[in-house]
Amino acid sequence: MSRDEQGLDFSTVIASTVHDMKNSLSALIQAHDQWLARLPEQSRSGSEQGVMEHEFRHLNGMLVQLLGLYKLGINQLPICPDYHELEDFVEAQLAAQQEVIRHRDVLATWRIDTESPLGFFDRELVASVVANVLTNAIRYAGHTLLISVEEEGEQLVISVNDDGAGYPQRMIERQQDYVQGIDQQSGSTGLGLYFAARIAALHERNGVRGRIEIANGGALGGGLFRLYLP
Amino acid sequence: MLQYGQKSFLIVDDFTDFRTSTRSMLRELGVRDVDTADSGEQALRMCAQKRYDFILQDFHLGDGKKNGQQVLEDLLLDKLISHECVFIMVTAESSQSIVLSAIEHEPDAYLTKPFNRLGLAQRLEKLVQRKTLLKPILQALDRGRPAEVLAACAELCKQDPRFAPLCLRYRADALRDLNRFDDLEKFLTNILASRPQPWVYAALGSLMHKRGQYEQAQGVYEQALKAFPIMPGLYDGLAEVLVAKGDNKRAQHMLEEAVRLSPLAVRRQAALGKLALDNEDYEGASKAYRHAVSQGQSSRYKSAESNLGLVQALMNKNAGNGLDARTRVEINTVLSEVAKENTEDQGLQVRARLMKAASLQQAGDAETAAKLTEQAMQRLDKMDQFFSVDAALTVARQLKELGQESAGTSILKGCVETYGDDPKVMQSVAKVTDDPSVLGAVTEAVDLNRQGVRSYQGGQLNEALEMFRKALSLQPKNISIALNTAQALLRIGGESPSESLMQECRNCLNRVAGIPASDNRFDRYRKLHVRVFGA
Repeated sequence: MSRDEQGLDFSTVIASTVHDMKNSLSALIQAHDQWLARLPEQSRSGSEQGVMEHEFRHLNGMLVQLLGLYKLGINQLPICPDYHELEDFVEAQLAAQQEVIRHRDVLATWRIDTESPLGFFDRELVASVVANVLTNAIRYAGHTLLISVEEEGEQLVISVNDDGAGYPQRMIERQQDYVQGIDQQSGSTGLGLYFAARIAALHERNGVRGRIEIANGGALGGGLFRLYLP
Repeated sequence: MLQYGQKSFLIVDDFTDFRTSTRSMLRELGVRDVDTADSGEQALRMCAQKRYDFILQDFHLGDGKKNGQQVLEDLLLDKLISHECVFIMVTAESSQSIVLSAIEHEPDAYLTKPFNRLGLAQRLEKLVQRKTLLKPILQALDRGRPAEVLAACAELCKQDPRFAPLCLRYRADALRDLNRFDDLEKFLTNILASRPQPWVYAALGSLMHKRGQYEQAQGVYEQALKAFPIMPGLYDGLAEVLVAKGDNKRAQHMLEEAVRLSPLAVRRQAALGKLALDNEDYEGASKAYRHAVSQGQSSRYKSAESNLGLVQALMNKNAGNGLDARTRVEINTVLSEVAKENTEDQGLQVRARLMKAASLQQAGDAETAAKLTEQAMQRLDKMDQFFSVDAALTVARQLKELGQESAGTSILKGCVETYGDDPKVMQSVAKVTDDPSVLGAVTEAVDLNRQGVRSYQGGQLNEALEMFRKALSLQPKNISIALNTAQALLRIGGESPSESLMQECRNCLNRVAGIPASDNRFDRYRKLHVRVFGA
């Protein structure tokens, strides 16, 4: 018998472990929330609390991303686009991060400037991208962040903008490498961009594929992430 | 914030902690009426007792239990919830794998764990807004009036055209239910030209299939799979078309693909088992039927056909080699389940016994096999229900193998009498016998029936009726001929049919009262039955 046949398929092992880790983390987060609710008001805040909230979201986002990447790898990440109310979608993304936003004392706002109240995309997939970007933006933001949705030609553009120091110049210059998965040494941010770009590209209309873009500036002057959906 | 004080909520989850934490979130939102259930089965019982405004349903409720998607299907098909009820599917990881299996019945929203109070409140509020917007449509759905659904959709689209996309699916379903197939085709084709979605392809493919346009249907599904290669429902549709075209090998391949993507689907596993059995892939057939049987335990789509299919596949797999102890145990288990759970079904009782006899014979116990065959034949004599074609052929073949050739032949004769107008059935019968008294029995009656149909379509009703009557006198238990005769009689009788005419109708229908519910003419039979017997 050859060695290959004896060994485990490591990516499957990781995927099923990540699945369990995610369940575990969910239970932990929910228990933590309940426990917090029982504490007196003054013990509920504090910077340790902020760290916990942030790291919970960060961990969760990474696990979701890891599972997504695994499914992309074995060609089993289905896309099921449908019409969704944009306001509902954006509000839900912010609501999910509410604790972190409160602890970091960040003012999070949103603006929707589209003709139709509906967008056409895979809610689950786009939500996983936005959640990761938001976690980052909250971490690097000074005081404010803004989610905006607008139309550019036929495309829907979802942007996340913050007032922090912005992306490192090197990252902006090399974004194509991350997107193509060429630079694999870049850690979680690079991997996040790769994942986001793959999700964007799963959205296709009449030969046009979705894409992502990072820059500095925007209305708030910090990091600006843009997701284009055809 | 919305007022939830008067609303009733049901939380379904197998984890106590989760039920408690969700309940306390709801309480903080002002909800007073919260019930909980720890399994889908319990949730169904509770929904039968009480109308809930909101259901928070966990998807994964433990192995061997109904999952959230099955609960949703049961709730909708058994009309235990109103379309106005907000149904939220709560999932541990992303909902992707569930979306796969939910092409027919979708929840109103997915909510991924972990969620917080604000996240829950936000979803609830938006969903209530949407349900309010769609209220006239949802109420028409509850009343089961597709024409009113269309009218309500048109009204909403006029009021606020920006929300028109939310009506697409309701409109498509209503057009289908109203049999407005040309409109439906145009409607679906238009959607595909701008924003293709898996359900649109599936609806168009199934429309083409229903109309007998197999080539076009195949084209639709193949195009769909290029855009959405990971949607098992589309493979199912393509497989059905391929079966209709007679390409069973490729159909099996499609279902294997679908099962690989989404193995939890009783009907898909059963369909795969049947195809594999037809294609003489007994290993594949046993595997698929075994899944269908075990998953069937918690499903509304549980079927004794899968148990019988599994036994057949196991026997064929070991043909010429007897049966080992483990296989015999498996056969005993699945067959006794059929006998125990279908005590009222004479046909299944006979078939389970014969199947058991056949397996005993293969295992080398000819004596018990003969006794069981004897028992089965006694039940067969008293049976007034018709076998389906497949069942009749299997029973006939087994009787012959068990040394009861003449009983087998009489089953085949009965099958030919009931179904012989269908050339496909005659081809199948010809595969198991070359007895001219079986194969030649129907020719004249079938000819007469065909002429009758032609006259009927030409409007010569009395001439048609004469043909049907003659045909029926030759083959009194033929389903098509009996239904045709009844229909011609009713058409001639008009508004106030005479008593003698009604009596003749009743006789026609009584002769074919054994029609199996799986027969594709069963609906037509039921409708005529309602007109003639009033129920």
